[in-house]
Amino acid sequence: MTLRRGENGTQRGRVRLGSFSRHRLSSAAALAGLLALAASMVPASISTASPALTHIGGSVSLWAEWTSTEQQDFEAVLSPFEAETGVNVIYSGKGSNMDTAIDAAVAGGAPPQVALVPDPGTVINLAKKGAIQPLAPVIGSEASDYGSAWNNLVTYKNKLYGVWFKGANKNTIWYNPAEFAMAGLKSTPKTWQQLLADAATLKRAGVTPFSLCTDIGWPVADLWQNVYLKTAGATNYDALAAHNIAWTSPTVTKAFDTLAGLIGQPSYLLGGTKGSLANSYPECVDKVFPKPGTMPQAAMVIEADFVVSEIVGNSANYTAGTTGASGKKCTADPSKTPCYDFFPFPAPAADQMNNSAIQGSGDVAMLFKPTKAAKALVKYLGSPEAGEIWAHLGGFASPNKMVPLTSYPDPVTRADAQELQQATSFVFSLDDLQGSWEPSLWQDMLNFVKNPSASSISSIEKTMQSQATASLGH
Amino acid sequence: MAVVAVGQQQGAARPSSARHGQHHLQSLAFLVPGAILLLAIVIWPAIATIRYSFYNGSATKLVGLSNYKSLFSTADTLIALRNNVIWVVVFPFIVTVIGLVFAVLSERIRWATAFKTVIFLPIVFSVTASSLVFTQIFQLDPHVGVLNAIVQTVDEWFNPPGAYPLSAGQTAASLATSGVVAGPHGSLLSSKTVRAGETLRMGLTGVDPSTLSVLGARPARASSRAAGSITGLVWRDFSISNPSDITGIYPDEDGFPNLRLALLGPSGASVATTSTNAFGQFHFSNVAPGLFRVQIEASNFQPGFSGTFWLGPQSLTPTSNLSQTAQALLSVPLIDISMILAYLWIWAGFTMVVVAAGLAALDREVVEASHVDGATEWQTFRLVTIPMLAPVLTVVFVTMVINVLKIFDIVINLGIDSSQPGGQSSTLASDVYYLGFGGGVHTGLASALAVILFVLVVPAMLFNLKRISGR
Repeated sequence: MTLRRGENGTQRGRVRLGSFSRHRLSSAAALAGLLALAASMVPASISTASPALTHIGGSVSLWAEWTSTEQQDFEAVLSPFEAETGVNVIYSGKGSNMDTAIDAAVAGGAPPQVALVPDPGTVINLAKKGAIQPLAPVIGSEASDYGSAWNNLVTYKNKLYGVWFKGANKNTIWYNPAEFAMAGLKSTPKTWQQLLADAATLKRAGVTPFSLCTDIGWPVADLWQNVYLKTAGATNYDALAAHNIAWTSPTVTKAFDTLAGLIGQPSYLLGGTKGSLANSYPECVDKVFPKPGTMPQAAMVIEADFVVSEIVGNSANYTAGTTGASGKKCTADPSKTPCYDFFPFPAPAADQMNNSAIQGSGDVAMLFKPTKAAKALVKYLGSPEAGEIWAHLGGFASPNKMVPLTSYPDPVTRADAQELQQATSFVFSLDDLQGSWEPSLWQDMLNFVKNPSASSISSIEKTMQSQATASLGH
Repeated sequence: MAVVAVGQQQGAARPSSARHGQHHLQSLAFLVPGAILLLAIVIWPAIATIRYSFYNGSATKLVGLSNYKSLFSTADTLIALRNNVIWVVVFPFIVTVIGLVFAVLSERIRWATAFKTVIFLPIVFSVTASSLVFTQIFQLDPHVGVLNAIVQTVDEWFNPPGAYPLSAGQTAASLATSGVVAGPHGSLLSSKTVRAGETLRMGLTGVDPSTLSVLGARPARASSRAAGSITGLVWRDFSISNPSDITGIYPDEDGFPNLRLALLGPSGASVATTSTNAFGQFHFSNVAPGLFRVQIEASNFQPGFSGTFWLGPQSLTPTSNLSQTAQALLSVPLIDISMILAYLWIWAGFTMVVVAAGLAALDREVVEASHVDGATEWQTFRLVTIPMLAPVLTVVFVTMVINVLKIFDIVINLGIDSSQPGGQSSTLASDVYYLGFGGGVHTGLASALAVILFVLVVPAMLFNLKRISGR
């Protein structure tokens, strides 16, 4: 996917208040919960999985966004490298300001030797400036361990500039299996139509189908982007991201109309329209996967894979999959044997070819200074061995095809990672590419939740088109 | 502001002696450090801001007035301006009046210091902390938000919820599954007419099974016929084992207990009422000849109070049918009023203290003279105290006008998303922040808006300056 390539070169800082830091925090917290769950599952054989590295010595500076528990896990990834090469890795966790920090460091002339950024646009921009090194001489044929959907995102003028270390999947709908069982649903929906039909069945059984995290704009944008990707396909998605398709085009209308089939049914939404506009993250997750002492209020929550940390944080009783702890039936009561599971965000029946195009995010490593130690570190980060270590610890999915699926601690994480590895197209969040009108886009999406009627959609589209034109200049 | 004030004091103090020049040099020397600071952190950034407002987003290309044009080409700036107007019209007046009332009252009560301390305390907290508290107070869920909990308690005295409250977005008609149709005013009616000796089955879905188990529901059981009576069953017509079957009664389907029913005669008037038992069965005895329908009364489904969305975008003025521009200009979103309430709590103590200081400096003889002349308390307050306090009240008022023209902190804290540009609670200052440092980083637009905000603050600032220097 060439999502970031179409960008007009302006690099946006990621300084956002509230909304964004929550976004980040959620993934930052992703490990806290999973760690406890996974700790018991780390096999003793891990150390033998380290790659054969030769002694190099010296030191290398490394920046990434991970702090606190994620930093601990990442350092666990780094320690075999340090032990075997004798290289001292000086790691610095920059939190959610990673992009800004990198831009500032490059402008100031003192970037780290290696950095991992959560945004392929940063990689392309730095490649344009000549600030980073092409990686073909460094990682060689191991580049093919990654799907072309991933490599294309960080390829500039046919040269690969980044290697993906971590991926996150937004193509997920999380459901409480016990709530599905209450409605007699035996399988998860494969098409959008089936999803709506199942929602109707849930409603008839007295179960509210969805808890939407839509008190603010970005989760609505993520949801809409999923629908657009599934209805219009990845090529159109990239074109819309670069505003080469108008916001008034039929593909946009189709996505809005499709999503209106869900949003326009207030009885499917926990709290109706009013309640959805006050349902914030992570409470929206807690309403489907509550803490012991309360019961679920809805069956599904449409969110990225980072919700797992919230779920297992609510209670260690939650078991991944559709069978409860020690083989018992999944219960709605979180104090007994509750479960959690996900199914991929389904495309409409007529657009099934878009099912393997997925929206997500990830962290990509790039090389600023080609010292021997830095090159070895980048090669190591791109190797399956590095990914495997964090995979065992949980809360991590690698886009690297060579990381064996058996390294993941549970079937749900495994399925999640498998989706990432097998994606034919991988797109990043489109709203992050919109520059100065991104907050307006979020607002427009909220207006759509407030009123998803056809006339409202057409007026929202016109507004978005004029905002995009004013902001992007075309 | 400081520049002018310093200059004028300097002018007033200027000596006219022979050592004029030396004094001049000396005072200049003293002025230099302050002047450098002012230049570096006020004057230069101000000039830079004006300059940037004519440049593009990354400050690399001169674009003339196009930033100003694009600011006024969308409704976003109008919404922000409207919110600033709402703040300026509502807040300074109310906070001044409250400050005055508190100040006057605190003079007449015991424990005045304790009272003043409590009222003044909020100003000590950071606005972010206060906002967090108010975010909780304003929560939609009455179990969390204390304001909605109060409204809920009062509301339920007048509108007691039914045994089967509808969930949000649900209608009674959507519950009707078999043998039931929508009736008048949110009630349900049996689809068939019956006469004495006959029996009915009415299937409902869409009700949470836990609601039924709380009411002690038992598995549904068909009613037997009884001579002279109309009998029947109302049951949860949803079986997990047969989710699509809507005629049979399965062992996992419960009856609807405690459902209030009415028997409607041929004219449609209610002739008898009854309730269902734990099995969902009902029994109207001694039924006259003729055809009847059974009505499930709407009160069964009366939803409970689900909370007012205090931090929501809904407008207090009916503008939903107007054009986008008219909406932007004429809406008064509830969130603005909620924010103003929270901000009053923060600032009332400050205005009280300032007004109390003014009160303390008043010439008591005048007040006493008015008492001697036979004026009532109210007359004294209105005709003597207020006019004498007018200068203080004006300063408080104008200071608060300037304060809310730049309103920012509470706006972004209480309305994380609705304060984004175009959001219902956005203000000029929050727009400046989000345009300049939010997702987009467009220094040109942000600077242009900052210049507009500056132009709006200038009149109030000059007014205050004039008052200060006029003393």
